This record gives sequence, C-alpha cells and structure tokens, in this order.
Amino acid sequence: MSQSFDLLIDGMIESIRSRILPQLGDDFVRGQAYGIIFALSGLKLSADWAIAPLRSQIVLQDRAFAEFARLGAGLDYPDVPSGPRILPDAPESADLERLRNDGDRKLGELLMWTSGAGAAADPDRAKMIQAMLRQIICDQLKIDISIMAKPMFHELATGEESGSAQSRG
Amino acid sequence: MKANVAPSLDPLSGTQSPGAKTAELAIADATVHHRLRQYLCDEAGSAVELETFERRSPGFSWITYSFTARDQSGQRRKLILRVGPTNGLFAPYSVLPQVYALQSMENSRVPVPRLVCYSQQGANVGFPFFISEHVAGDVAAPWLGSGATEEHRRGIVMQFLDILAELHTIDWQHLPLRELLAKIPSGERTERASLTAWRALVSRPLIRYYPLLDWAGLWLHENCPTPPRMTIVHGDYRVGNFLEENGNITAILDWELTHIGDPHEDLGWALVPTFNGGSRKLYGVMERSEVIDRYQNKSGITLSPRSLAYYEAFALYQMAAIQICGIHAFEVAGFDDMRMAAMSTQMASIVRALDKAIEAVA
Repeated sequence: MSQSFDLLIDGMIESIRSRILPQLGDDFVRGQAYGIIFALSGLKLSADWAIAPLRSQIVLQDRAFAEFARLGAGLDYPDVPSGPRILPDAPESADLERLRNDGDRKLGELLMWTSGAGAAADPDRAKMIQAMLRQIICDQLKIDISIMAKPMFHELATGEESGSAQSRG
Repeated sequence: MKANVAPSLDPLSGTQSPGAKTAELAIADATVHHRLRQYLCDEAGSAVELETFERRSPGFSWITYSFTARDQSGQRRKLILRVGPTNGLFAPYSVLPQVYALQSMENSRVPVPRLVCYSQQGANVGFPFFISEHVAGDVAAPWLGSGATEEHRRGIVMQFLDILAELHTIDWQHLPLRELLAKIPSGERTERASLTAWRALVSRPLIRYYPLLDWAGLWLHENCPTPPRMTIVHGDYRVGNFLEENGNITAILDWELTHIGDPHEDLGWALVPTFNGGSRKLYGVMERSEVIDRYQNKSGITLSPRSLAYYEAFALYQMAAIQICGIHAFEVAGFDDMRMAAMSTQMASIVRALDKAIEAVA
C-alpha cells in the first residue's frame, strides 16, 4: 500500500461519511453510500498500487543519475546514487513510492545545481546536463500522465455535468 | 446600511491563530445566513430580513452567496456576499485586494459590482467578507460544450480584450489599489512579487516532490522580463471570471489575486488552453495574432513576444502552484474535500507543459 493511495482511500471514505451521508435522506441511497464505503475499505486492504509505473520511473531516475555522473565527471557536484536502487526481492509499492519520491528530490537537487554556482565552472556541460535531466523528468511525467483520468475541471468547480453554463450574480 | 466597515486588524499580515482551520473547517450556509442577518441588523440599527439567500458557487476559494435584504421601511436590495473561508485554497484570506479593486474601478470603464461594505476581521459573519451589489448576468463556461455560438463568443472576446486594455491603462497611482504595494518586501521587484508568493506556496513539503517545479520557479525568477509599464493586473483574468448578459460583459469578477505588475501577465493567463476549451485560440475563436493586435491597438501598450511567452510559462507555474495548494490542503491540512485530492491528478500534465513553455521562451 502506498502512502498516497492510502490517503486517497481514507479521504474518499471520510468525504462520504461526513459530507455526503448527512445530506442523504433516502434510505436506499444511504445504503448505496455505505456500500461504496465498504467496497473502498476492502480495496484499501487488497490493492497494491501502480508497481509497474513506479518501477519504470525508478529505472528512469537511475538512468539520469548514471548519465549525470558520466557527463559531470571532473566537476564538483552533489552525491549521486550509483547502481540500480531496486533490490531483487521485489519491495512493495510503499517502498517503491518512497524510492521514487527520494529519487525525485535528488533529481531536483541536481537540476538546481545546474543553475547554481557549482555548475559555473563549465556552463556548457551544465547546460547539457540540465537538458538531459529535464528530458528524463518529462519521460517520468509521461508515465504519470498515462495512468491518469481525464480532467474534470468543470465538474469539480461547479458540481454540474459539463456542457452547461452556470448562472451567478 | 453603512458604506464601509473599517478593518481593525492588520489586513496584510495574514496572521491566523493556530488551530483556526480545524476549528471551523466548513462553512455551514445556515450559520452564514444567521450571522449575515445579525450583521445587517447591527449595521442598520433596525430589523433587516433576508428574503432570499442562496449559495451560488461551491468554489475552491471564496464562497459566493446571493441574497435579497429588506429593511424596516420595506426597501429591498439584491446583493452578493463573498466570504473567504478558513479552509479555502489560499487561506488565510485578505479581503482587501478585492475591496481595493472594486473601489478603484468604480468610476472606470472596467465594469465591476459596486462595493457596499466589507470586513477583514469578519465582524459577525466570522470570516473575511465583502458585500457588493448584484449584477445581472451569467458566468461564461470556459469549457467546451457550453452551447455559445462562435459569433457570440467572438463578440464577448472582443469586449474581454477591450476591458483588459482599459484595466491596464488606468492610472492606479492615486487609487486604493496602490496600497497593495505596501505588502511587497523592500528590495523585491514589484513585477516579481506574485511569483515569489507562489514559490513560497510551492516550496511547502508534500509527499510527492516535483523536481521541475522548483527549478522552474528559479528559472522564472531569474528570467523575469522588465515590464513595458507597471499596471493593475487582475491576476485571474480569463473566460469564466466575468458575467455576461445578452452578449454584453456586465461585470469582471474574482479580483482576489489582483496586484500591480506586468500587463503581459493577464494575457498569458487568459491564453492558457485550459481556460479556452483546450484551444490555443482565445475562447476558442480568436487567433493569438489578432488578440495581440486588438489589445495593442486598444491599450497603446506594445507587447513583447518574449514577455508573452514568459508569462504563458508563468501561467502554467501558477496553475501548478494552485494544484499544490489543493494537495497541501488535503495531505497536510487535513481538509476532507475530495476535490482537493482530485486536483493532484493533473500535476504531471501541467508540469510537463510548463517545461515545454520554458523551452519556448529560452
């Protein structure tokens, strides 16, 4: 179970309990809401979230670290993880998520280094490293995008099905 | 009813007692109704009845109510109440930017609702609030499928640009909005102050860290262009933030992010495809070149392609920052509004678009 998945499920259950159920007067509809809470609680216990995308993202990060070390050889740069960080004993998604998030923080540190004083010794190389890091981070974002639902800005902002203007004023 | 209620707290400090968010997480409409009526009675010094009272937006930020007040003499006024809830996206809130904006625009050609009264400390209502006169009209939906014809949207978009040109040519130096400059730390470039504020919000620790976002904030800071002139910036000028009736824009709304800055900022924000049905054309009907020509002709301000590109990148950074605020509200502040959690799902696509936009400037 990943931390963010856990939070989402808990948030959904709490939202139904505290925000939706008190507004429901119909017993059948209330039964439906309790059914959803039950199903979500079961999902929370049984689901393991997004192992494959997390693995792919960590592999990309490892590639970025290796490239960084190669391109930055001889420069004074921050510590970079070396070698594959995923151990063969297949950690759970919570471990993978932590690893991915730690990797993102390290990528952020390295990216900031390319714009800072440390990179001034060789601006051309720093620029090349920066482009590489941005590209790999964008590749990582593509994985996130591929597993996300279509935006619902209108529905979230107005509480209405899309396709109608809301009167206000 | 008195014209104004002077705030007694420092309106710009943004201070809030610890635990205030958890003390009153959600605004209950019945409570607001009761407190508003009490407030109006106190201000009038006699009985005031609320004949109608309706929440108009389930917004992420300021909450809007429309109501009809009837005083002892039987006189009715249709009014709008906006309150800044303790659990809004950008809480704690100051009512003053909106107040200054409505006061500053009152005698201009920028249509706004007339301010009736306000209170930063919340008076009886319990939250920062202001009351304005009701303006007839509907909010134009920036999403596809609103049913508005192309001709209709074109007519609206021309007014939209003409009003923006009016806004950017107002001499603000002697208007209430100049007070906002006092909030900017000394040594900070005025046009960069809003970026600095967004960067502070983005820097708050969350479970997921987006490396490009931190770097983009630094890049925007270092590459902020010099404005052609310092103007009033609406801060959220887009389709969806005005009222229209019979093809006419009747009021520009939602001034909570207004500030003094670079006029390119409003154009960059208005052109974000999210606010234009996914189109790169303004409101899906006007090409960028035409937008630029019309704006320049009406305002007399020469736009810089690089500055416009910069502020399109800035707009995406601001969108990402707003999402971060939603995630923070859900993950850290413990708000049980699932819309906040849902916002986080769009981060990846916004950050990727931001990277492309920065590339386009550089």
